Amino acid sequence: MVKEIERAGIPVVHMCTITPISLTVGANRIVPTIAIPHPLGNPALDKADEKKLRRQLVEKALNALTTEVTGQTVFDK
Amino acid sequence: MKLELGYVQIKDIVFGNESKISNGVLTVDKAPIEALAKEDDRIKSVTIDIAKPGESVRITPVKDVIEPRCKVEGDCDIFPGTIGSVKMAGFGKTHVCKGMAVVTAGKIVGFQEGIIDMKGPGADYTPFSKLLNLVCVFEPVDGLKQHDYEEAVRFAGFKIAKYIGELSKDVKPDSTETFEVCDFKENMEKFKGLPRVGYVHMLQSQGLLHDTYVYGVDAKKILPTLMYPTEVFDGAIVSGNCVSACDKNPTYVHMNNPVVVDLFKHHGKEINFCAHIITNENVYLADKQRSSNFTAKLCEMLALDAVIITEEGFGNPDADLIMNCTKIEKKGIKTVLVTDEYAGRDGGSQSLADADPLGNACVTGGNANEVVVLPKLDKVIGTLDYVNKIAGGNENSMRPDGTIEIEIQAITGATSEVGFNKLTATY
Repeated sequence: MVKEIERAGIPVVHMCTITPISLTVGANRIVPTIAIPHPLGNPALDKADEKKLRRQLVEKALNALTTEVTGQTVFDK
Repeated sequence: MKLELGYVQIKDIVFGNESKISNGVLTVDKAPIEALAKEDDRIKSVTIDIAKPGESVRITPVKDVIEPRCKVEGDCDIFPGTIGSVKMAGFGKTHVCKGMAVVTAGKIVGFQEGIIDMKGPGADYTPFSKLLNLVCVFEPVDGLKQHDYEEAVRFAGFKIAKYIGELSKDVKPDSTETFEVCDFKENMEKFKGLPRVGYVHMLQSQGLLHDTYVYGVDAKKILPTLMYPTEVFDGAIVSGNCVSACDKNPTYVHMNNPVVVDLFKHHGKEINFCAHIITNENVYLADKQRSSNFTAKLCEMLALDAVIITEEGFGNPDADLIMNCTKIEKKGIKTVLVTDEYAGRDGGSQSLADADPLGNACVTGGNANEVVVLPKLDKVIGTLDYVNKIAGGNENSMRPDGTIEIEIQAITGATSEVGFNKLTATY
């Protein structure tokens, strides 16, 4: 899906936990997430901290989306 | 140091008033087994039945398959750390009730239990159709959560297998086999010049009822570590998972791990089998990175020349498999991967979720998406209620005439990734 949407000219950021697979399948902008059963959240955190974590992830993804890349890039900083 | 396995061949199982093994016939008194199961107040009832090879019997939903064993000499109990005390396994003497198994069943998750047919084409796909099976179907108390039900059935299965195993304690084995292991210094001196071969044994540890236990420890909490390869023969590693039936390792398979058994056969002849490394398949990327770093480090520290890597399950564990492979290969150590495939019903899709050119030696246990039609059988132990929901089935799997059209994914042990079945492919 990532590749097909990009083929249509729309930039895509792939948020996923197992980034090596994302690299193998050919995503260009990759944002690592928390864990396979809960990629965009962390049930171990309390509600306020989890909201903060979720916001950070979304902001990181939006930032990745607007960053020029020359090849496959994992935004792991 | 050595472990002697004494094989007590079981030729038949019958019900009777007193549990015993006599002339190869196992007589089972149901009452003590029911009592063992009900020691756990989470179990409401257990139904005990016998399924023999060639009978028109279908067992489902299957949770685990366990081989009854008993320690005759040595420090530990069978299943150390799980139901036995936490003592080291793999030494002394162990009796094995060969030719039979305890099969545990019940609707724990529903879609992640399996099918064992004792007759017909389904029987050809499961290694457990060749055994005399003592089948225990467990009903939970009302309102019991799935993870509690899983744990209760897991422990009940081990207790029953131990109870049956202990009946063989004073029986003279029909044959014996000895497995000898030594420390690293002796190993280096004794087998100098032979290629140093290790086994990287990946354990299912994705969590949410996808777990394996090592001496009672949840494998997702371990860092990769070393075992004497004889330890598995005493039940040091047990299954606690509800995952696709075809490629999980039931406890029986851990106790008879064919990679370990076959490496022992070649040990001291063509190869020096000098390391059994266990690792996990966790769902956090950092865990996958850490564990594969550690397996590669252990292989390097042990100066291995080659390793066999086996996977358990599929999907994201394919990433662990490839990470183990590439990191070990980059140390200059040859790898052979043993896995299975999810290549679609026509076999035309990519088989694994991840791949790498360094993974250039691979053995497959077959394509789990292959569809088979299972005939209607005369007797069902358990229930057919979940056949349409089981992984590998769909809403049309149960046909009106009683036959079942289903992927072999649903058949327990069909595409074993440690090579415990006959299925494979070449290209």
